[in-house]
Amino acid sequence: MINEVRNAVLSILNKNNYGYISPSDFNLYAKNAQMEIYEEYYSSYNKTINAENQRGSGTDYADIESPLAETLESFLVTNSLTKSTDNKFFVPSLVTTGDESYYLLKLLCYPIMLTSGIQSGTEVTNNLVCTTGNFTTYGIISGDIVVNTTTKATSTVVSVTSNTQILLSSNIFPTGAPTNNGFAIFKASSLTEADKVSMGKITMLNSSNLTAPSNEYPSYVYQGSVLELYPSTISTQGQVQAVYFRFPKVPKWTYISLVDGSPSFDQSQTDYQDFELPTEDEYKLVTKILEYCGMSIRESEVTQFGMAQQQHEQPTFSMQQ
Amino acid sequence: MAYLSQYQYYDNNGGSPQEANWGSYQYVSLTDIVNNFLLMYSGNHSLINNEERYKVLFHAKRAIQELNYDAFKEVKVLELSVVDSLRFVLPHDYVNWVRISMYKDGLLRPLTENIQTLSSNAYLQDQQGNILFDQNGNILQPQYSDIDFDRIRKTKKSIYLNSGNQFDNQYGWNYDGMWYFDYRIGDAFGLNTETANFNPTFNIDKKAGVINFDSSMAGELCILEYISDGMEGGDNSLITVNKLFEQYVYAAIKYEILNAKFGVQEYIIQRAKKDRRALLANAKIRISNIHPGRLLMNLRGMDKLIK
Repeated sequence: MINEVRNAVLSILNKNNYGYISPSDFNLYAKNAQMEIYEEYYSSYNKTINAENQRGSGTDYADIESPLAETLESFLVTNSLTKSTDNKFFVPSLVTTGDESYYLLKLLCYPIMLTSGIQSGTEVTNNLVCTTGNFTTYGIISGDIVVNTTTKATSTVVSVTSNTQILLSSNIFPTGAPTNNGFAIFKASSLTEADKVSMGKITMLNSSNLTAPSNEYPSYVYQGSVLELYPSTISTQGQVQAVYFRFPKVPKWTYISLVDGSPSFDQSQTDYQDFELPTEDEYKLVTKILEYCGMSIRESEVTQFGMAQQQHEQPTFSMQQ
Repeated sequence: MAYLSQYQYYDNNGGSPQEANWGSYQYVSLTDIVNNFLLMYSGNHSLINNEERYKVLFHAKRAIQELNYDAFKEVKVLELSVVDSLRFVLPHDYVNWVRISMYKDGLLRPLTENIQTLSSNAYLQDQQGNILFDQNGNILQPQYSDIDFDRIRKTKKSIYLNSGNQFDNQYGWNYDGMWYFDYRIGDAFGLNTETANFNPTFNIDKKAGVINFDSSMAGELCILEYISDGMEGGDNSLITVNKLFEQYVYAAIKYEILNAKFGVQEYIIQRAKKDRRALLANAKIRISNIHPGRLLMNLRGMDKLIK
């Protein structure tokens, strides 16, 4: 889609010989335009919910909420969080989960750890071997979660083969000689959602008799770049998963330079990244980028054109905040 | 919570204890209550929105506590023997008592509460009646007050009731099951029939957390029937509600949240309040087990002549 958007932008700009924008400028504007539209999804979604509550939306083809929800959900990811210290886990970031969180939808925990230890013994593919293990006594069943606490890889139990060996659904421990990787096994059925609590409330909540965080009702607070989990026994790598809306990836129009120096689109390059927005929002990207271009080349008409197009495309139904 | 297989129900899947799931189908867990409420009564298109889960949990637990106080009729029973100190320490989950009995000779004898004081704190005093303090300014206290001491040493008099006996209605000492009396001088008038009872009497010291008995209870078995608040010592996984009250708990949570929320119209609050009240009344009728079989038992006595 990115090439079509760029072609459309250049075509409009060139129509009246307004000017030309370089690939690097285009990439900058593309990033901002995508981010603006992405953020609009959330406010639009809120408006559609309000419209629904006022009978301003119907079902089937009159359903205005579902398409927006689907667009948003295409950015929804679930990732295991990396432990920082004690009961603190890093919020999703490029370093820890490979993407950044725009909005943390919920936090899932496995509060009950069945056992943990150090992998030992000759490792077989798709198996966890621990020569000092006593796996048959911990109530481990098929589907329970196994985490390699060293590499942070996760798998599930297929069956408990013996006291010292568990068959896993995927290979998360290096095969061959023992590498002394740590492991932890969590009870899958204990999966529960942690409640987000503000820093102002957590002290009172922790000392509350009826509502103190527990294995059944864990809580967390957001503090800088970490999430602090309660009860504080939730402190093992693999015990916490985040479900969040990630930021869209930064778009990049990549090219090769022709003999005359003009760029030619080349999507085979490693840093190529298309827009992640749905096709129906292509025109919004064009108009947004035009706005930026108009300001860049100091042509107010281009900016006005972009803004007028956006006004024109506003939904006609009443959506009050 | 998922439904149990029959093997799980009867034999706990071969695990221990075998009886872990017996009767569990009557109950719905707190986890299910909170989950169901958040799923069904809270959200973008519901009256309740943007409420933290801990508030729902709090109101759910409060509703369960209230139900435990009277509506559930789930009475816990504890047997302990009363030793020479004549005290019965209240159970850890005690909220209020229903009945206190002495178990003796294969019979359960309900005891009467003694409304008179059986126990007291005491301060040490000098001969002028001044209260004595230690170097930190704290009042010095003896281990027992005189009234406690008399009761524990069995030197405190109590009334003897045995119609036809020459000592009937006379104050005496009960010691090791035997009664001892002073020489009788005149008659005892004005018997307090409220407390007149052959069996031992008791008095509950709520703050001290003990039941004090009179001296005739020493060495006897006491059976305490009491109610708790259903919080199971703080273990959320064990807290349950009888299914007959499930809908009431949802209504109670809904009402409490709406009632405490700013800007909710009064008619909505009143509607929620009526819901809650009606559901509680329905559930109480259901759990009281008024069914034809029981009514028939009562009706059988209809033609009996009252003399």
